[in-house]
Amino acid sequence: MEKIEKLLIKNFEQHEIYEEENEYKSITFEANKLKEISIKQSKGFAVRAIKNSGLTFSSSSNYDLEKFSSNFLELSEFPTKTNINFPKKYDSENKAKIFSEDEFLIENSFFINKLDKNIKKILKKFPDALCDAEFDLGKGKSSLKNSNGLSIQSEESGISFFISAQTINGNDMLNIYNYASSVKNIEDVVIDILTSKLIENLTIAQNIKETPKNGCPVIFTPHGLYQTILSPLLVSFNGDNLSKNLSKLSNKENDDIFDKKITILDNPLIDFSTSSRNFDSEGIPTKINTLIKNGKFISGIFDLKTADEYNCESTGSAARSVHSNTFPSISNLIMNTGDKPFNKMIEQIDEGILVDHLLGAGQGNELSGDFSANISLGYKIEKGKLVGRVKNTMISGNSFNALKKIDEISKENENVYGSLELPFLQTSNVEISS
Amino acid sequence: MEKNYKTIMQESLNSKNAEYKEIRVEETVSTRINYNGKTRENVSINSHFGGSARSMTNGGWGFTSFNEIDLAPAKMKESIELAGFSQNAPFEIQKNTPKNVILTAEVKKDPRKISLTEKINLLDHYKELVLSDKRIQGCEIVYGDTERKVIFADSDGNEIEQNFIHVILRIAANSSDGNEMLQSGFSIGSLGDYSIVENLDNKVLECTKKSIDLIKAPKITGQETTVVLDQILAGVFVHEAFGHLSEADNVYENKRLQDILKLGEKFGNQDLNITDGAKIPNLRGSYEFDDEGTPSTSTPLIREGVLVGRLHSKETASKLDEKPTGNARAISYAYPPIVRMTNTIIENSTNTREEIIKDTKDGLYVKNWYGGMTEHEMFTFSSAETYKIENGEIKETLRPVKLSGNLFTTLKNINGIADDLEINQGGGCGKGGQSPLPVSNGSPHIRINNCLVSSG
Repeated sequence: MEKIEKLLIKNFEQHEIYEEENEYKSITFEANKLKEISIKQSKGFAVRAIKNSGLTFSSSSNYDLEKFSSNFLELSEFPTKTNINFPKKYDSENKAKIFSEDEFLIENSFFINKLDKNIKKILKKFPDALCDAEFDLGKGKSSLKNSNGLSIQSEESGISFFISAQTINGNDMLNIYNYASSVKNIEDVVIDILTSKLIENLTIAQNIKETPKNGCPVIFTPHGLYQTILSPLLVSFNGDNLSKNLSKLSNKENDDIFDKKITILDNPLIDFSTSSRNFDSEGIPTKINTLIKNGKFISGIFDLKTADEYNCESTGSAARSVHSNTFPSISNLIMNTGDKPFNKMIEQIDEGILVDHLLGAGQGNELSGDFSANISLGYKIEKGKLVGRVKNTMISGNSFNALKKIDEISKENENVYGSLELPFLQTSNVEISS
Repeated sequence: MEKNYKTIMQESLNSKNAEYKEIRVEETVSTRINYNGKTRENVSINSHFGGSARSMTNGGWGFTSFNEIDLAPAKMKESIELAGFSQNAPFEIQKNTPKNVILTAEVKKDPRKISLTEKINLLDHYKELVLSDKRIQGCEIVYGDTERKVIFADSDGNEIEQNFIHVILRIAANSSDGNEMLQSGFSIGSLGDYSIVENLDNKVLECTKKSIDLIKAPKITGQETTVVLDQILAGVFVHEAFGHLSEADNVYENKRLQDILKLGEKFGNQDLNITDGAKIPNLRGSYEFDDEGTPSTSTPLIREGVLVGRLHSKETASKLDEKPTGNARAISYAYPPIVRMTNTIIENSTNTREEIIKDTKDGLYVKNWYGGMTEHEMFTFSSAETYKIENGEIKETLRPVKLSGNLFTTLKNINGIADDLEINQGGGCGKGGQSPLPVSNGSPHIRINNCLVSSG
């Protein structure tokens, strides 16, 4: 690596070297049985260097440094325009807990037994179900050094639990899954709740009900809210789209865009969340960013390059893999809750839908906020109760419109994918077709 | 260097006992050139080396991956230990006649012989062409070429080296109606032929025009209607609506699904014939051997509407006692091979496109694609272009639509297949976290009745 550093000092004004070493373990059950245990190791490095306001990037995992150097010099003839400066060393108070080695010390048989036990719980109620389940463990070390004096070493870890069950009745196939993740070992009580909830949902979903007519009340579960509405919306908060004026939010800071009931934060400093980070991938200390406050658009998320192009400061949101240049990315997305308990929201509905999972989300024109997808798991609400599942039904609409007028936000929130804290939400501005 | 790889691979296979062992090492060098908005965003050359060891004991698998070849023997031992945790019923894995071969890459016009300057000049030119119309707000161009060498060896005596060169290009033009961003684009690809990215001026201008046409195009409301699909979108349809369920890893442990997807069952009309095969030459999903060393085939899946075959890995073929088809594929050394499609095709019938459209009283003509997804029998896919059909004539442009359906009804609802098969090579497939795997899809124009569509 010293050779490369010499080359960079000689040929560039600034440079940055990122190195990463990771280990992953997966214990996977398929169709109720242990299918595979895998251990993957990976390492690699990436270099960014700047001269004459042009940035060059390249990465490698084969450590053929001669070839890397000659490629890098060739690439530097076609740099990306930028005015950024790699950061100097920052003092930061950030101390989010993002590493715990414990899980890697646990025997494989412990995880195997836990997966087996939870699958058996499902099979007790649904003997014909086919369950897949998995523990994924990961840990990694990274080092970031730049020519402006910054040098950061970081260690991260994570563990996730996944369980799914499939039932088949005639030509109807139903698949429901649940998921949790954490930096430290996931407690049994969390896993028990996920499995019980899966059994409960599987029970309700056995009944197929006629889809209510378009215009009926629609409630989104926290997962459904993310998949349907927030995921396409976040594209517009990305600094890359804001700076290129592709986002509908470009230069609309402090405008009333959404319902006043909505406040959304990006909080990278939550202990033991797998998306937390104390420094971003360029070495900028992270901080809590307010994206929406009482319906007003406050800020997008930026790395150094997109911040420079949008004429603002980096929000400490740079992410990267060893094979990619940096890009702005959300960490833990937190949405405010409301006053009404979820069960009261359901109780007041005569006929409606609770949307939980979508198939085909994210394939349309996300910059416009448009969404349109098949509801792969949605429950019918009848006279204040969940009575079954709807099938062959599509939902479409626009995220901006859907969040312009909210009917209700629940008092409770749930963790989705280990890094999102979201409530149940009811909005009328969506279209249902079947 | 290569000799050394192969010696270490063989040493690894000689270690400890397992019922089946395999090892793969891979070298890749890829060039990527991206444009976004009005500028060139990134030019990079990334090179990677890695390997993996996989073994089977007691009906269960152990898998390990590494970046240093010297680790291979230790990683093979580790994979055998991991497989040892399994207590499943054992099964005998199907063997093929062992091969010891080196296969060079199929090359027509070699992208490695084109200088970076020449590639960038060409792409800069396309960018300027897109942006030459002032109503265009920005473009999106993604060019990539990848050189990939994979060496595979297993405990059955196979030692197979394969080399591939892939070229892909996507160009899209963005416009806006003042409120929403609109996009029209196209994706192409080839196995070893750089010339596919040359001489595209007319196609680029056409895509620019289509993006501008979208500005005034209305959206449709959600509805069930008749749709005529062009070859590209019908290719995506066959991949999503049928292809994924023909992958035997869905059924090999699933007795109920085996009853539903029974060979001999009728799934479509008389004129529906579907085939998948890596043996079909010179396409992005083509190869001689899959990532388990099984020779590739061309597999009839549907003949005259009847289910006649499915796609297999060594494990699924063994457990279902069917013939291996050579469809076990891994996107890179870091993943175990799983059952995947290769080149999936709806075969020609006798109608012409004109007859099919003329015979459609009311419906939509849907072309080109954004994406598609499958979950069991349900699937969705999205068009990039949509036109109204009225009394057998193609009328005004509409906004793109999402189409959704169910395997059991939608395949039977195909009631018109044309004679103009074309194969699209601009797509990639995702499954089990392995994306985008090079595949191609093909079809003639087809018509589907009662298809659920909505704008978005």
